[in-house]
Amino acid sequence: MLRVKIGGLALKSPVIMMSGIFSYGEIDLKYLDYSQIGAVVTKTITLEPKEGNPQPRIWEAGSGMLNSIGLQNPGISAFVSRHLPGIMERGVTTIVSISGQDSGEVVRMIEILLREGVKAVEINLSCPNVHRDKPMVSQSAEMTYRLIKDSKSASGNMLLIAKLSPNVTDIAEIAVAAEQAGAGALSLINTVKGLCVDIEGRRIVEGGYSGPPIKPVGLKAVYEVFRKVKVPLIGIGGIEKGRDALEYILAGASAVGVGSGFFSNPGLPGEICSAVKDFILANKFKSIRYIAGLFNEKEENSSGKKKRN
Amino acid sequence: MESKNLKIKGIEDLSAGHWLLELENSFSEKPMPGQFIHIKVAPFFLRRPFSIAGCDRDKVTILFRVAGEGSQVLSHARKGDVLSVIGPLGTPFPLRRRWKKAFLVAGGTGAAPLFFLSGELAGQKKDILFFYGARDKSNIMFRMLPAGIDFIFSTDDGSYGEKGLITGALDSCLKGGFLPDVIYAGGPRGLLKEVAGFAEKFCIPAFVSLENRMACGTGLCYGCVTKIRTREGWEYKRVCKDGPVFSASDVAWEED
Repeated sequence: MLRVKIGGLALKSPVIMMSGIFSYGEIDLKYLDYSQIGAVVTKTITLEPKEGNPQPRIWEAGSGMLNSIGLQNPGISAFVSRHLPGIMERGVTTIVSISGQDSGEVVRMIEILLREGVKAVEINLSCPNVHRDKPMVSQSAEMTYRLIKDSKSASGNMLLIAKLSPNVTDIAEIAVAAEQAGAGALSLINTVKGLCVDIEGRRIVEGGYSGPPIKPVGLKAVYEVFRKVKVPLIGIGGIEKGRDALEYILAGASAVGVGSGFFSNPGLPGEICSAVKDFILANKFKSIRYIAGLFNEKEENSSGKKKRN
Repeated sequence: MESKNLKIKGIEDLSAGHWLLELENSFSEKPMPGQFIHIKVAPFFLRRPFSIAGCDRDKVTILFRVAGEGSQVLSHARKGDVLSVIGPLGTPFPLRRRWKKAFLVAGGTGAAPLFFLSGELAGQKKDILFFYGARDKSNIMFRMLPAGIDFIFSTDDGSYGEKGLITGALDSCLKGGFLPDVIYAGGPRGLLKEVAGFAEKFCIPAFVSLENRMACGTGLCYGCVTKIRTREGWEYKRVCKDGPVFSASDVAWEED
């Protein structure tokens, strides 16, 4: 009932542990029921190792948090030799998050991961914490199109998921560009650019904002993009209880991404499965496929069709 | 590590804004000195990490000082309330049979994990000298001091024990030729850095308990990293998972 397909990738549950909150998937969390998780997205990997940003990397802000990790990672070679074998063995579907300074770097990483048998990558086009002075790729439809197009030409049967930023005028325009270039799914949304003022420390703290306050921002993005594209959407942002995930699905997401909400609520994956299942049963649907976008409509010029039960 | 809802068995107002909180111990894994627990303090989004200050079969104890909104709210918790807790987390203080004589060096609330450690070491019949420094007498948590251990106290204002920093007392002791097999330390970064310097000078293994802001507490997010020496220089390691206890000689103090 909860099985979903994300562009050819069959998941046993709609719950995806999103990039940045699950290390490389190698940590054994004894309190987590892995049977409730459809897939794990690794921390973002870059071609060369990255030491990441200085402290402070974490800042609580209102009912959410800023993070500024800065893509700390050991680089693709060390990732492939040290982390990948362990996560492949675990048997949880693994999506490798990658980011590059240009198409060339992304293509090289895709080629390496393809050789290692990786079935899906999420291309992080929207990290707010590196090169704060430069625009992110996903802030331009043209740059997004070009990077995904180049990636597609090197990726064979591998699923390409584009992760987009909410910090744009019209996210649907970027989403359409990613789809036209060959993205097989879209992750919406990355963190929202934010800033805190540390009065006692007499400093400014910048980062990507996550947590419950960004849920309406993520829902709006999913709602708008669902109408314009046919590829499946992974809804992310502010999910802290089961019902939040259900809202994303009804607005148009085929699967949902769990982010920093998992830190405060480790039971979240199970709660999401229960909430979605309860809704499906109570409304007499056959499976989750029939409720993705139930409260939304595809626009006529998009080739997606509204499903009926 | 487990995720548990633990009942508060007791909460006690100690002096100078310090609180002692006792939680039921239903962990299947035995918490070790140096480890911490990650507590959800509603309504705040992020959990708060607390060093375990004591533990027996029935309860896990933490000691905290009200320093911000989270600890303020936690101080209003009552006996019988239930808290969502993840733990025990992190790497404990290493113990070796051959380390028979130990110095414990603590500053302020950084003493919390050392109270737990001192009890454990005393149980193993180790020879312990506990250096405990605080701002003033009211900031010394007499309630937490285990029996049968030798202490050297210092306060900034001289209201209890020697006047000055506790590292001064430690230095005199080491210079006097009274050398331990191992040093364990917890407290402000400046204190830990000084202890690391002494340990290097006198060739004594030393272990420090570091603190940092944390999000996940379990090694997932890389938010709490600190600079750790490598052959080429340094790299960021996670305080929550690779620590919080590090060998003093591994910490890249020179990068502060």
